[in-house]
Amino acid sequence: MNQDKIIVHIDRDLEDLIPVFLDNRVKDIENLKSAVTVNDYDKLRSIGHNLKGVGGGYGFAMITDLGADIEAAAKVNDIKTINELINSLADYLERVEIVYQ
Amino acid sequence: MEEGQTYRNYRLLIVDDDNDVLSLLSSWLTQAGFEVITATSGEEAISKIPGAKLVITDLYMNGMSGMQLLSEIHKDNPLFPVIMLSGQAQIPDAIKATHLGCSAFLTKPVEQDNLINQVKHVLRLTRDTAADNGFAKNIVYRSKQMADLLELAKSVADSNVTVYISGATGTGKEIIAKAIHEASSRRANPFIAVNCGAIPEQLLESELFGHEKGAFTGANTRHEGLFQAANGGTLFLDEIGDMPLSLQVKLLRVLQDLEVRPVGSVKTFPVDVRIISATHQDLDKAVKAGEFREDLFYRLKVIPLHMPSLADRCDDVPVLAEYFLEKYAKQNNKKKKHFSPDAMDYLISSSWPGNIRQLINVVDLCATLCKTNTISLSLVKTALQDVPKEIQTLKETKDACEKNYLISVLRITSGHVANAARIAGRNRTEFYKLLNQHNLDPGQFRFKKES
Repeated sequence: MNQDKIIVHIDRDLEDLIPVFLDNRVKDIENLKSAVTVNDYDKLRSIGHNLKGVGGGYGFAMITDLGADIEAAAKVNDIKTINELINSLADYLERVEIVYQ
Repeated sequence: MEEGQTYRNYRLLIVDDDNDVLSLLSSWLTQAGFEVITATSGEEAISKIPGAKLVITDLYMNGMSGMQLLSEIHKDNPLFPVIMLSGQAQIPDAIKATHLGCSAFLTKPVEQDNLINQVKHVLRLTRDTAADNGFAKNIVYRSKQMADLLELAKSVADSNVTVYISGATGTGKEIIAKAIHEASSRRANPFIAVNCGAIPEQLLESELFGHEKGAFTGANTRHEGLFQAANGGTLFLDEIGDMPLSLQVKLLRVLQDLEVRPVGSVKTFPVDVRIISATHQDLDKAVKAGEFREDLFYRLKVIPLHMPSLADRCDDVPVLAEYFLEKYAKQNNKKKKHFSPDAMDYLISSSWPGNIRQLINVVDLCATLCKTNTISLSLVKTALQDVPKEIQTLKETKDACEKNYLISVLRITSGHVANAARIAGRNRTEFYKLLNQHNLDPGQFRFKKES
C-alpha cells in the first residue's frame, strides 16, 4: 500500500474542529464495516450520504467523493465496491496530513 | 460599519442531526458575524425559535423532517425565513419546499460563500418586509425583482427627483409612489393621487391647476387645484399617458417654472411639489406616435421604475396570498384559513392578468366560500374562473359608466340635446363634446322614438 502522505490544506479557523471531525470518520469506518457484515444497505447508504454532505465543507473533497460512491453502491447493493471504498477511506484517513493556512 | 457588525444582533438557528455539519456551519456563520445557536432535531428547534431571525435546517432528519419543521414555523409566522439544506438535489423536494415558503434551498455539500451570501440575502429581504419600520413597510414580497426595485426606489426616495413608474394595471404602482413619499422629507405634507384618465379633459386642467370664480360656466367659486393642495408634498399623476396633449404642455410649463396659473387667473402661484407619475401604457411608443410630448416624457422619466407583473414575481404569490388571507380574517373577525399545497401550486402557476388586484379578489372569494380551515384546489380553480381575468382600469370603468349615463339621458329625452344637457348639468357645447367622445348620435334616439 502506498504510504505517501496526502497533504490537505485546511482553513485555520477550522483547526479546533478537525480532530473531532476525523475521529468521527474513524467511527464511520467501524460502522460501515459493521453494516457490511449484516448487509445493512440502508445504513451504508446513510453513512455514505452523510460523508458526501460534510467532507468537502471541512476541506476534504476526497471524503465527499468516497461518500457519494458508497451511497451510490449501497443503492444497488454492490457489496464488493462498498468494501473497496471503505478500504480507500481508511487508507485516506491513515495518510492524510493537514496543513492549516 | 463593517459588514460583520451589521449582523451582530442576528441570531441564526441551525438544525441538523449531524454534529459535524452543525459545527462546520456554526464556525462559518460565527466568523461572518452572526450569533449562532443549534439544535439536533426539529423538535428541539421549535423551542429555540423565539429570538432567532432565521432558521437553517436539514431536510432529512430523524423524527421531525425539515419540511415538517418549516410548516410548523409558518403556522405562526408565514414570513419567517427558513433555508433548507439537502444532501440530495431532488427537484420535487426543492419545489415543495419553495411552495411551502422556504426562502432558499441549498444542496450539500454547501459552499461557505454560497451559504453566507444566501443568509445575508434572505435576511435583507426579511428586514425589508418585516423588521424595518422604514421604507416600504406595507409592501409584501420575497422576490429578487421586488427587492431590486425597492432598493432603487429607496435610494431615490429622500430627494426631489421626479419618478416615473411603469407597469401593468393592478401591479401596485400607487403603493410604491406612496412608499417613496413616506420615506422622503415631504412625508409630513400631503400625498395627493389623481387619475389623469378618469377626469374629463375639460375638468382636468382646473382640477390640477385650479380656477378663478367665473372662469367658465359653472365655476361659481374659486378652486385651488391639486398642485397647490399638494404644496410641500407629492403629487402622484396616475395614468399620465391618458393626459390630453393640450394639457401636457401646461404641465411641462409647471414643472419647468415651478409655478401654476389657475384657469381664468392672470396671477401665478409658486408651488413646491414632487411629481411621481405612472402609466400602464408604453409611453415610448406614444412619444413616437406623437401622442405624448417627448420633452414632458423625459422631464417625468428622470428615475424610471418598472413594476413587475405578478406572474413575473410568482415567488411572491405564497407570501401575498397568506398576507391577504390574514387581512381578510382580521377584517371579517374570522379565523385565518390556509391554502392546501396543491391549491398554492395552482395559484403560483396561474398567469394573473389582473395582477395583485386579481389575487386579492381570488383570495377574498376563496376565504368567503371555504367552509373549512383549508382552501382546496377545486375552490381555487372555481374562484379563478369566477373572478374576471381582465379587470378594467378605472378609466375604462368610468368611460363605460359615463356612456351608459349619456345613453339613458338621451333615451329619456328622445335625443333632445338641450334637454339632455340640462339634466346632465352641462351646457350644450360640453354635452356635444361628450357625445362625440363616446361616438353617440342623438339622432338615433329620435329615430327609435318615432318608430
